[in-house]
Amino acid sequence: MSAILEAQGLVKQFGVRSRLLSQTPVVHAVNGVSFSVHEGETFAIVGESGCGKSTLGRLLLRLLDVTAGRVIYRGTDITDLSARALRPLRREMQLVFQDPLASLNPSMTIGRIIGEPIELHGLARGAQRRERVAELLRTVGLQPGYAERFPHEFSGGQRQRIGIARALASEPRLIVGDEPVSALDVSVQAQVINLLERLKAEFGLTLVIVAHDLGVIRHMSDRVAVMYLGEIVELASVDAVFDTPLHPYTQALLQAIPVSHPGLRRERPALTGDLPSPTAPPPGCRFHPRCPHAKPLCREAKPEHETLSDGRQIACHFWREIQMSGAGAPLEAAASPKLAQRLALYRERQAKVEAAEADA
Amino acid sequence: MLSERPFILEVTGLTLTFSREAATPNLLDGVSFSVREGETLCIVGESGSGKSVTSLALMGLLPSPPARIVAGTAMFEGQDLLKLPERALADIRGNRMSMIFQEPMTSLNPAYTVGQQIAEGIERHRGARKDEARAEALELLRQVGIPAAESRLDAYPHELSGGMRQRVMIAMALANRPKLLIADEPTTALDVTIQAQVLSLVRSLQQATGTAMVLITHDLGVVAEMADEVAVMYAGTIVECGSVAEIFDDPQHPYTIGLMGAVPTTGKRRGPLATIRGAVPPPEQMPRGCRFSPRCPFAEPRCHETAPATRMIGGTHRVACHLAPLEALATDMPRSRETA
Repeated sequence: MSAILEAQGLVKQFGVRSRLLSQTPVVHAVNGVSFSVHEGETFAIVGESGCGKSTLGRLLLRLLDVTAGRVIYRGTDITDLSARALRPLRREMQLVFQDPLASLNPSMTIGRIIGEPIELHGLARGAQRRERVAELLRTVGLQPGYAERFPHEFSGGQRQRIGIARALASEPRLIVGDEPVSALDVSVQAQVINLLERLKAEFGLTLVIVAHDLGVIRHMSDRVAVMYLGEIVELASVDAVFDTPLHPYTQALLQAIPVSHPGLRRERPALTGDLPSPTAPPPGCRFHPRCPHAKPLCREAKPEHETLSDGRQIACHFWREIQMSGAGAPLEAAASPKLAQRLALYRERQAKVEAAEADA
Repeated sequence: MLSERPFILEVTGLTLTFSREAATPNLLDGVSFSVREGETLCIVGESGSGKSVTSLALMGLLPSPPARIVAGTAMFEGQDLLKLPERALADIRGNRMSMIFQEPMTSLNPAYTVGQQIAEGIERHRGARKDEARAEALELLRQVGIPAAESRLDAYPHELSGGMRQRVMIAMALANRPKLLIADEPTTALDVTIQAQVLSLVRSLQQATGTAMVLITHDLGVVAEMADEVAVMYAGTIVECGSVAEIFDDPQHPYTIGLMGAVPTTGKRRGPLATIRGAVPPPEQMPRGCRFSPRCPFAEPRCHETAPATRMIGGTHRVACHLAPLEALATDMPRSRETA
C-alpha cells in the first residue's frame, strides 16, 4: 500500500513568542510525531482531551503551520508550500468538523455552502453546479430541496451530513474528520458512521479520524495511533491495539471503557491522577507519573519508538515485561439469544422500510 | 431479581408541559418509575428524551411558569415532591436529596472557594459552626480522593481540573448523607480514564453510605456499569423499564433494541451498525399514537393511532409497545391477535 500522507517528526508548540515582561508558557501540543497513512485506509488518532490529537489533524491539512517536521502528501512536501501552491491540493484534502453548527455559515443557504467549493475549484457553474449540489445532498441522504434552507433549520445529524456533503463537493481523496460523530446522539451517530463508511467505499476515500470514543474507533478504523500528551505511544492495526494492547497507557485506556454488559462488571485498576499540563510535560516518558509500571529509567530517559515485526510501533522501555504481566483487553459479551434474535428482526424490518423509502 | 428493600422514591404518572395551550403534547407524558433504598436506577435516553427535565422536576428546579405539572406524584419519604412549597423543598435539597450535574464548572460558584461551597450546605442544613463545617468539608474532600485536600480547600473551582471539580460536586452532594442522589450525566464531560475514576468513586461511596441514586445518562456502557434498575426514555415517555439484566438480555421495545444495535462496541467489528431512522420529533410535532412510531420499523396503523399502555412482562420488567415481543410477529401475514 502506498502512503497518501506522511508525518515526519511533527512538532507544534503554541505561545512560543514571548513578549517583553510577559512570559507566555510554551504549550508543547505535538512533540515529534511520525506516521504514514495508507491510501484507502481509515487511520484513527485517539487520545483524551489535551493530548494534541486535534492539533495534529490540523497540522496534517496545513490548517496550522508546524514548528518543526515535514508533512508529505502523495510524495510532495507540503510543509512550506505557499497558500497559492497549496490550493490545488486543498481540493483533495478536506476536513469534517465536530460541531457542524459552528462550522456552517449561518447566513448562507445549504446550496451556497456546498456549492462554494465547487465554484472555488472551478468544477462546475450555474445549472451544472446546482445539479451537483442536488446530487451531493442525495448522496448524504438529504432531500435536494434542502439547498434553499439555512443551517439552523436542521438537526445535528442533518448538519453533520451537510458538512460531509461540503467536504465531498471538491471531490477529495482524503478526509480528516475531527470528532466527526461525537456531538451526535447514539442513534444519529450510527447513521453518520454508516454514511461515512459507505462514502469511503463508494469514492475510494482515505479517512483520518480524530476521536476519543474507543467504540467508534474500533468500529471504523484499520489502524490506530494512540496519543498521550503530544506523542504517539502506540500505533498498530485496530485488532492489535484492542486485542493485545502493549503500551501501559493503551491498556489503561481500554480498561477504563465502561463494560458493554452488566455481567462483565469487575473491579479493575483505575488510572490515577490527571493529564499533566502540556506546558510542563514530565521528563523521560511523559506517561511515567501515572504509569503503574514506571521504574526509575522512565523518569530519566525518553523511550524510543520501536517497530515490531508486525509493524506495530511502541514507545515504552518495558513493554516486554509488561506484556508478561497479563494486562488484557476489555472483556466482551456475546449478545443474549433474545437480543440477537430481535436485533436481527429489527435490521431486517429496517432494511425493508429503507428500501421502500428509496423507491418512493 | 426482586429486591426486598423499600422504595425511597416513587414517581407515578408524571406529566409536564411548558406550553399554555392544552392542545400541545406534553413534554413528559405519564412518567413512572421507582427507586429502592440504596439502589441505582439509570434513566437512559438521547437528547430530547426528557430525562433531564424529569430530574429537574423532581428537584423542583424548573422555572414555573413556563413549566407546569399537569398530573402525577413523586413520593419521597412520605411527601409528594411535586406539591411541596419551595421552602420545604429547600430543606430537602442538598440535605436528604441532592443532585450532581453534568458540567461542574457551571454548577460551582466561581467566586467562592471549594471549601466554602461544601461547608455552606453543612451549615445550612445542620446548623454546624463554621469551623466544624470546614473540618467536615476537608474530610469530605479526602473521601472523594482529592490529593492534597488541605490546600484544595481554599482553591477556587477554576484552579481544579474537570475530574477534580466533579469530585468536589460529589463531596457537596454527599455532605449531608442524602437518602437519594440524582446524578445527571455526571461523567459525560469527562475523559474515559477520569470517568472510570469517578464512577468507581460514586459506587464505593454509595456502598458506604447506602444512598439511593437516580443516574441519568445517554451511555449504555455507564448503565451496564452502574444500574440495578433501568428506565429507557424516549420523547418524554418511559418506553421500557426493568432490571439491568432484563434490559440488556431481554430488551422488548424496538427503541431499546435499536439503541443496543447502534452503539459501536470495542469488541470485534460485526458489520454496519443498526440505525434508528430520522430524529426525535420536536415537542410540538409529537405524534398522536406511540411517540416512537414514526421511527419504528415495525410500526403498524394502530401504533400511529393509539399510545400503547405499559404492560408487565415479568419481575419488574415493563414495556410500552403494542407489538412486543417482536419475535411473535409473523413476518408476512397480517395480525389481529394480541390486543392486550
